[in-house]
Amino acid sequence: MKASYTWLRELVPQLTASPKDLAARLTGAGLEVEGITEYGEGAAACLLAAVVSIRPHPTKSGLRLVTVDRGEATQELVCGAPNVPDPGGMVVLAPLGAHLPAVNMTIAKRAIGGVESEGMLCSETELGLSDQGEGILVFPPGFAKPGTSFTTVVPNARDTVFEIGLTPNRPDGLGHVGLAREICALYGFPFSLPKAAAAPESAIATKELVTIAVEDAERCPHYGAAGAVEVTIGPSPLAIRYRLQALGVRSISNVVDVTNILMLEWGHPMHAFDLDRVRPAATPKIVVRRAKDGEAITTLDGVARSLVPDDLLICDGEGPTALAGIMGGADSEIHAGTKRVLFEVAWFEPRGVRRSGRRHGMHTESSHRFERGVDPGDVAHVLARAVALTCELAGAKATKGQLHVHGPKVLAEPEAPARRVIPLRAHRIGDLLGVEVPFAEATGILERLGCAVTAKGEGVAEVLAPTHRPDLAREVDLVEEVIRVRGMDAVPAELPPVRASRDVGGREELASRARAAAVALGLSEAITFSFTSRAKLVALSAPEPAVVLANPLGEHQAVMRTTLLPGLLDAVQNARRHGERDVREFTVGPVFLAREPSRAPAREADQVLPDERLRLAAVLAGERPAWLARSVAVDVWDMKGIALELAQRLSGKAATTEPADRAAIPAHLHPRGAGHVLVDGARIGTFGILHPDAVEALELDGEVLVLEMELDPFAAGPKLPAYAPIPRFPASPRDIALVVKDGIPAGEVEAAVRAAAGPLAEDVRLFDRFVGGQVPAGCSSLAFRVVYRAEDRTLTDAEVDAAHGNVVKDVGARFGATLRT
Amino acid sequence: MSNGDEAAAIDRALAELREGFLPRFRAAATEQALRDENAKISGKKGELTAILSLLGKAAPERRKEMGQKINAVKQEVEAGFQTALGELRRKARQAELEAPPFDLTLPARVPTSAGHKHPIAAVREDVVAVFRSLGFAVFDGPDIEHEANNFSMLGFPPDHPATDMQDSFWTDQKLLLRTHTSNIQIRAMTTLKPPMAFIAPGTVYRRDDDATHSPMFHQIEAFLVDKKVTLAHLKGVLAEFAERLYGPGTPVRLRPSYFPFVEPGAEVDIGCVFCKSADGTRKGCSLCKHTGWIEVLGCGMIHPVVFENCGIDPEEWSGFALGMGLERIAMLRYGIPSIKLLFENDPRFLAQF
Repeated sequence: MKASYTWLRELVPQLTASPKDLAARLTGAGLEVEGITEYGEGAAACLLAAVVSIRPHPTKSGLRLVTVDRGEATQELVCGAPNVPDPGGMVVLAPLGAHLPAVNMTIAKRAIGGVESEGMLCSETELGLSDQGEGILVFPPGFAKPGTSFTTVVPNARDTVFEIGLTPNRPDGLGHVGLAREICALYGFPFSLPKAAAAPESAIATKELVTIAVEDAERCPHYGAAGAVEVTIGPSPLAIRYRLQALGVRSISNVVDVTNILMLEWGHPMHAFDLDRVRPAATPKIVVRRAKDGEAITTLDGVARSLVPDDLLICDGEGPTALAGIMGGADSEIHAGTKRVLFEVAWFEPRGVRRSGRRHGMHTESSHRFERGVDPGDVAHVLARAVALTCELAGAKATKGQLHVHGPKVLAEPEAPARRVIPLRAHRIGDLLGVEVPFAEATGILERLGCAVTAKGEGVAEVLAPTHRPDLAREVDLVEEVIRVRGMDAVPAELPPVRASRDVGGREELASRARAAAVALGLSEAITFSFTSRAKLVALSAPEPAVVLANPLGEHQAVMRTTLLPGLLDAVQNARRHGERDVREFTVGPVFLAREPSRAPAREADQVLPDERLRLAAVLAGERPAWLARSVAVDVWDMKGIALELAQRLSGKAATTEPADRAAIPAHLHPRGAGHVLVDGARIGTFGILHPDAVEALELDGEVLVLEMELDPFAAGPKLPAYAPIPRFPASPRDIALVVKDGIPAGEVEAAVRAAAGPLAEDVRLFDRFVGGQVPAGCSSLAFRVVYRAEDRTLTDAEVDAAHGNVVKDVGARFGATLRT
Repeated sequence: MSNGDEAAAIDRALAELREGFLPRFRAAATEQALRDENAKISGKKGELTAILSLLGKAAPERRKEMGQKINAVKQEVEAGFQTALGELRRKARQAELEAPPFDLTLPARVPTSAGHKHPIAAVREDVVAVFRSLGFAVFDGPDIEHEANNFSMLGFPPDHPATDMQDSFWTDQKLLLRTHTSNIQIRAMTTLKPPMAFIAPGTVYRRDDDATHSPMFHQIEAFLVDKKVTLAHLKGVLAEFAERLYGPGTPVRLRPSYFPFVEPGAEVDIGCVFCKSADGTRKGCSLCKHTGWIEVLGCGMIHPVVFENCGIDPEEWSGFALGMGLERIAMLRYGIPSIKLLFENDPRFLAQF
């Protein structure tokens, strides 16, 4: 909402606060002033001057030399405008040094075509008054004394405009009257509504001009109308024109401007009909009714709209003329030849206006106000003001009487709208706010806001809410008003005694532990979108989406993920597009799966919700850093390490991995490099090389390793470590290198070594794998270190040699492995 | 050969050895050479062993005497060896110490360097920690939620512009991606009896995607329900929160505002963290739009209609709720200029936190 400081001061003559102070006070009361802009700053620096003489420019055609009288002197300047008036006519002079912010110009002495010019005759555009800059501003002879400041003659040419961010509960702030009332309440000034000036009255009665029928009194409980005849359509005076311009509304014509001024004044949108265009011509008729299914209207924006029965229409005797409360149609608009005007001021049910607006994708100044709830109590005022202003600006006469339609009743005076009665107990104010407010002060604040307060005993009152405040519905709303006006700064800060609660759910802690573990392993955390595209899920062989969005922003975010990988792979793609090859990232978050019977939710009602399972996923791509050596591309064993470490740190138990069964490899993984990670023998995750097809489909530009694991199995926290005695006797390591045929997994050989080494072997570790050289083709040399130790003694060489001899013998026998020479 | 000759031979050999072993030790340039030389003298096949073997042939009455002599020389040799060894080691250490320095400008070898928490996660954990220390516990809830828990139970009127503030993603008529973490208020209050003090961090979704909005973002809701909870308590918690998260002395300001599920409702500003000077004053900067204040969260006293919807008597219980966007806090805290950066997961971005 744009608000004019000048206008507010007209409505609140006592107001002396500067725009900045007023903005701070409004913001402090919940009407947040988001910006303050100056209107007509350039105009303030300009003077009115009278044209004395005009002669052609000596060298430039199209330019003229104009001599003007600026009061204390005359001066000649160069002017290119085609509309310089004849001598005597008045113009706006920007003198030397004047700053015109709208065109970012400061007037300086300059030569134009060899002629010195010290000033400029200005258009509205240059003054920042409008964007209609066809020629300079011209006034009739004698309009003002030459040398007079422009803005003292045309007051609304200079203003300060507030941009107020109103919350949806404050429709009263959408008009200057409401803001003025609020300001009076905040500053403690008396407030009075602006009155309609007395208007010349025609002999014709409004009810003779038109008949009005409201067929849906629920959606339109009050339809008010008043008329003006002998109207002369023309431009508005500058004061009106600039006021509208300052508030971002283009001036159209005097009568249209009246409706806009009244909307900005009262926050109550209204409509003006050309009565001669309301059909049938002999007996003009207005009907407020619901649309018929499929009925059509072309609104003022030129869009043909197909209607449904929930849309409320304003019709004339023959068809729809407006979508009620939202936008008019083109047919009954005011035009240059309009002679008779009918003003409509109605109250439409807010929810209906909102539904229609949303259905048709329309949001207008009018619907914005109606859907928040305009004041049902101001209809007669607004009509009277509109008619009076029309008489003043358009030389019109008011028709006799107003029409107020309440369902079947057509009345001359409106019925008073219902007002809420809200009981207020003094103690509730302190109970809720934690600060004592004297009851008299509280009720005084409410009265200033327009409430009627009746005492009902000690510390109890009955408060009648005003019609312009639909948000005041119960006691707590009144308490808020008290503290809002009083200022929240007055409330002390006190730490409450907190009776502690216990965690419910536990996913936060679980995610936190997973995060810490992953970060410690050198992965950085990505936060990835929960929605993705169907195509990505397919490319990653993930389950069908269990949740599909009804109104996604696009195909790329149309379904809820069933794997965490898409977001991480997006990060890889994004990084690679920026030339970053190395990505080591993880993400923690839910996947959204169809609910299995075994995973029933804690509450019955949640059975219809998808199963949100917390998972961790990781990607590795690029190179592993090395020291003073060429970096090496990361490989599947890097990811195996991360998988094992994560599982171990989260479970506190030994984790293992197993290669995926060749027949059941997840389709998005490379058949040569896919594995599962297990804790307690149960698979809790999958890792591997992303399948080249997936790399291609997702445009990842190179190999990527992935891991995805469930976190729910670790919800209970890691198993606590149990102390084991530190060995007291020395270990005896022995190495063995075995040449084994390719195709025999190293893990199998290692297991055989371990078995053969017997109970004295504390640890078996593969520390080298060598291919080539003396190792025959089709084989590799595997070097193991076996560490022997006894708990109770130092082993003798003979004991160790015996155990290690078994390894040589047994493993050789089992795999045909030969000791490498 | 007579026995007397033997003794004489031993004497000669010992004299010779005694004469020569020190120069021989000194001549050794390395520890190995020294040990080799020592082995030549004292080893199993060394010169002293050879001399000792003569002892058996010496006259029995002189054997003891000769034995003692040999032993004395042996000890001299051992002492000489140890001295030479010490000397050699000292020299070697000295040489090592005096050698050219290591090139410490070579790149560091970092033990598998740790990764980085996402800035939103870091803020999330910090905020949770602050509230935990005040006695709040964490209450989890789903991202996909019943309309009722997200809107109607919170008192959002149907077809009301208040829901404009939160344009939602729907999955069907009654389910949506939660638009705020306030749904947890309903989940907590419909399953547990007051008093309660909960915090609910989580992911939320709104149908908004432009330069300053992400369709998915994060919030933390905190709420306290007990007897006689007041707006003053809310202010106290907010002051404590600002103090711990933004530093001692950070001022807090409440501005009345509107959220359907609180009354009174307020937006909370903290003193601008960017233009704060040493004396605690703030002169205003572009980030606080020259006001010295930055908006960080919304809050209020829980609306009685929310209590009633959850079967809690608003005459007996009262409470406050507050909710904040984590993206905004992270952006303020780390000076991140665009919300988009938070979701691109660029490794060069993540590595900064």
